[in-house]
Amino acid sequence: MFIFRNKLNFLIVIIFLSSCSSMNVTQEKVSSGGVKTVEATSINNENIRYDSMAVFANATIYFEFDKSNLTSKSIQTLKSTVNALNENSSIQITLAGHADERGTREYNLALGQRRAETVSDYLVLNGISKSRITVKSYGEERPAVSGQNEKSYSKNRRVEVN
Amino acid sequence: MKKIFLILIFSNFLLSELVLEITQGTEDPYRVALVPFKGDKEISDTLNKVIQNNLVRSGEFKIFESEKLLSLPNNEEEIVFNDFKILNIDYLVMGEILTEGTNISAEYQVFDIKKGSKVRTSTVYGIPNKNRQLGHYISDGIYEEITGIKGIASTKILYVTQKEDFNLVIADADGANEQILLKSTEPIISPVWSPDSKKVAYVSFETGMAKVFIQDIASGKREIAIENSSQISSPSFSPDGKFLSLTMYQDGNAEIYILNLKNKNLTRLTNHYSIDTESSWSPRGSKILFTSGRSGSPQLYELELRRFNSRPKRLTFDGNYNAKGAYLPNNEGIVFVHRANTNFQIAIKYFDENFIRPLTEAQMDESPSISPNGNVIVYSITDEGMGLLSGVTLSGAKFRLPAKKGAVREPSWSGFLR
Repeated sequence: MFIFRNKLNFLIVIIFLSSCSSMNVTQEKVSSGGVKTVEATSINNENIRYDSMAVFANATIYFEFDKSNLTSKSIQTLKSTVNALNENSSIQITLAGHADERGTREYNLALGQRRAETVSDYLVLNGISKSRITVKSYGEERPAVSGQNEKSYSKNRRVEVN
Repeated sequence: MKKIFLILIFSNFLLSELVLEITQGTEDPYRVALVPFKGDKEISDTLNKVIQNNLVRSGEFKIFESEKLLSLPNNEEEIVFNDFKILNIDYLVMGEILTEGTNISAEYQVFDIKKGSKVRTSTVYGIPNKNRQLGHYISDGIYEEITGIKGIASTKILYVTQKEDFNLVIADADGANEQILLKSTEPIISPVWSPDSKKVAYVSFETGMAKVFIQDIASGKREIAIENSSQISSPSFSPDGKFLSLTMYQDGNAEIYILNLKNKNLTRLTNHYSIDTESSWSPRGSKILFTSGRSGSPQLYELELRRFNSRPKRLTFDGNYNAKGAYLPNNEGIVFVHRANTNFQIAIKYFDENFIRPLTEAQMDESPSISPNGNVIVYSITDEGMGLLSGVTLSGAKFRLPAKKGAVREPSWSGFLR
């Protein structure tokens, strides 16, 4: 019996020689498999808008597991953010959503985004122009604190207003 | 379904760099005598270790080394088949290393003990200083000859490491021979291979926001998959390599789209106010599997691409979290992250069964990726707060890949490279 294969790699040469009807005879060559290392250039555009005035609007809003709705405590915090934004009409803000490490990374990225959008919706409902807000998510990639316990997790499920 | 039972626990006699924790395997493994390769002693030692490790890791083999054998033939003529029959050995493997200057090659033969005859004779031409690769090719030839299934020792695994900075890394399937594809100070997530294993796609935060990049492995040439003002994530190549499914956030919510890589046209697949993400393609490219929060918790759904106005069909009902799914290469089921109570496990659901089979039992198992032959699943675990890679075979064998510096996560298995 012969084994037939799909060979995509041109480096591999397989020759079947039928010297014996029940024996497989093969020849092949190890592929070189070259890898080039690249270094990413990070564009750290966050620091650019950290002027002294934006600090007044800084806040962190916390969430329950797998939830993106605002708690009454969060709303209190956001009221001060709305005031700060109204007093300083030139401030642009970034809402960065985060999740705790439980669950899958992509789902957490989407969850962080939902949390940031929830905060954005609240600010817009309270008169802040959407053009002043940038929304994004870091999912579980940038935890505020490390540790595998609810205390750490609760600090990581957040939206940072900057 | 083969019955599984406890065979043995390897402690420290195998390669120190790979931790094999074979707690379960098939009840009836192939019993293979591995006669040390003749020729250069150092290369022979490497080949023997690599081959033995690869075969044992599959969970389907029991290897008899030279000290356990009754006779050690130097060539085909010297084989006393009865010496192997007595030990109930199924196959005998022997070979020779040939060196000529810097050129290296290996010839090996596989003998069927019951038949008393040679069933395979093969030559593999190696590359200088890549003797492990040579061993992987030989392992795959032996595996294929005996099981009738293509081996995965010569395939690669792609993953992310983080110490302070983030690295996207390619290594051999046994975790050796690490090579860095991308270094970044910002997070890298969700790496995947193109179907021809010549490119990778991943999410990088280097622009300050999640964006999908496609990078050529050999040349390092990379590009953003599609320009968009909002974040983009979760790439997955179609089996023909012409399309990339991804998650876009332009409506403020995670929705799945298909990008035509040639003309950059986008087709929207989902439209729901809840999260839709983690898309992956069925083996023939006719269905998309994805995670959706539309039922109130993350669950897996599939969408038929070739039917008019098709609606997502829910596939998972047990457990409060079922996410990051992938189809088995034979399309007989799906593998995914499953949480029944509080622990995240890797689980499998066959389409002809109405229940979920957990494959692992730790607390925080994530990111399953299936080997191209469908027999092994590599995934990430958290051990004392540290990310490591583990593997489980569908025959029940478990192993752990060597620990790296820093956290290791999100493994993705290449296609066949041999």
